[in-house]
Amino acid sequence: MINVKGLHKNFGYVEVLRGIDEEIAQGERVVIIGPSGSGKSTFLRCLNLLEFPTGGEIWFEGEEIASHNKGKKLNEHRQKMGMVFQHFNLFPHLTVEQNITLAPVTLKKAEKEAARTAARRLLERIGLDAWAEKYPATLSGGQKQRVAIVRALAMEPQVMLFDEPTSALDPEMVGEVLELIRELAAEGMTMVMVTHEMGFAREVGNRVLFMDEGIIVEQGEPEPFFSNPQSPRLQNFLAKVL
Amino acid sequence: MIDSISAVLYRNFIYSDRYLLWLRGVRASLSIAFFALLLGMAIGLLIAIVRVSHDSMAKPHILLWILNRIIKLYISIIRGIPMTVQLLIWSFVILAASRNQLLIGSLAFGINSGAYVAEVFRGGIVSVDKGQAEAGRSLGLSYPKTMTKIVLPQAIKNSLPAMGNEFINLFKLTSMAGMAAITEITHVGNILRGLTFDQSPLIFVCVFYLIIVLILEFLVGRLEKHLRKSDRPVVARQKRSVWDGFSR
Repeated sequence: MINVKGLHKNFGYVEVLRGIDEEIAQGERVVIIGPSGSGKSTFLRCLNLLEFPTGGEIWFEGEEIASHNKGKKLNEHRQKMGMVFQHFNLFPHLTVEQNITLAPVTLKKAEKEAARTAARRLLERIGLDAWAEKYPATLSGGQKQRVAIVRALAMEPQVMLFDEPTSALDPEMVGEVLELIRELAAEGMTMVMVTHEMGFAREVGNRVLFMDEGIIVEQGEPEPFFSNPQSPRLQNFLAKVL
Repeated sequence: MIDSISAVLYRNFIYSDRYLLWLRGVRASLSIAFFALLLGMAIGLLIAIVRVSHDSMAKPHILLWILNRIIKLYISIIRGIPMTVQLLIWSFVILAASRNQLLIGSLAFGINSGAYVAEVFRGGIVSVDKGQAEAGRSLGLSYPKTMTKIVLPQAIKNSLPAMGNEFINLFKLTSMAGMAAITEITHVGNILRGLTFDQSPLIFVCVFYLIIVLILEFLVGRLEKHLRKSDRPVVARQKRSVWDGFSR
């Protein structure tokens, strides 16, 4: 589904990604871990071209996308990839429902009424239908992130990208967000997730990537990956975080 | 003493219905400031959008580049020429054929104001968290749609109190419009000084400006407070002191 070949990304003189080759199949749940500054968020952001790669190719469903750094194609590609941010990034000037319907209505994916019905259904699903008319400032962190997730789902993406979705949450709110992501995983959603939740990575991911200094150092299925790490850098990292 | 006060009031307001002249002056000052603000906001918003878009792109489109150049020139000209001189040029050169005081005043002050309002709006746009635009783009919205639907509404809201202050500044700035024969408050004072043969009208000029500015400041304060409130969650709206939670 997604095929990354020799991906490079520089910020000025700093080389953040130094050649990533990776293939992600439909229905896979890939979890990326690694120390901060390892390039894992940048890799994720390259997948929907929030960052433009400086080198290499990204293929999505048989189309090379890294070269359209402009215009319609780019926006169409992003519609197929939902993104969830660490800091939620809900639109504070819109109600919860408007947050969800904005993109589908503006992009003429749905009529206004249909989009509203869909938004209500999504909100019911996360138990926040009573909050549809409220503004994001009135929600808790966990509620905000769950709204952000269904906002991305409203575009009916084929892939969901999660960039540390629980890192900005109070500990007692992490659970509700992970629960929703777990549900999406069970439904077979293809997802790529950067996280520090090792337990969750182990439980939900079917493949774990360890990134350090801009390359994928090691990867594998969660069980052997966590219980029997091969490279010293991963051993070292896991010793610190587990 | 009382005699002289009532005489002054009589000379300034009652005699040959001079209060009508004051009213005309107040109306002119306020309406010029108002229309100048509208024009200034329109120009300022346009400039701010062009500049932010231009600066955000590594290789801006040629049209955008040209627009940005024109804007830079406009800003240099406006900032380099004193407002008084600009006003005289509008009144006696560009619009010499027009007798429409409101038009001349609004154009002169509005086009001047645009250069300054642009900076306020630009600050407003830049102050909107980068994540907002990213969220919009990640949903597949184009740059212009992200700007108009997500960034600008927040930027304009953040800039509103500054617009209130710009209105107050414009209102005071109109006191020079008399030089272009526009009948605003100061000019009315000057006319009356000529008619009463004393300086008492100046007192009333001061009083009019002061009262109106105080009212406007009050309104801007209310607006600021209102905007701050709507940003915060319901719980935080209850009155709280910094000392809550500390034992005293």
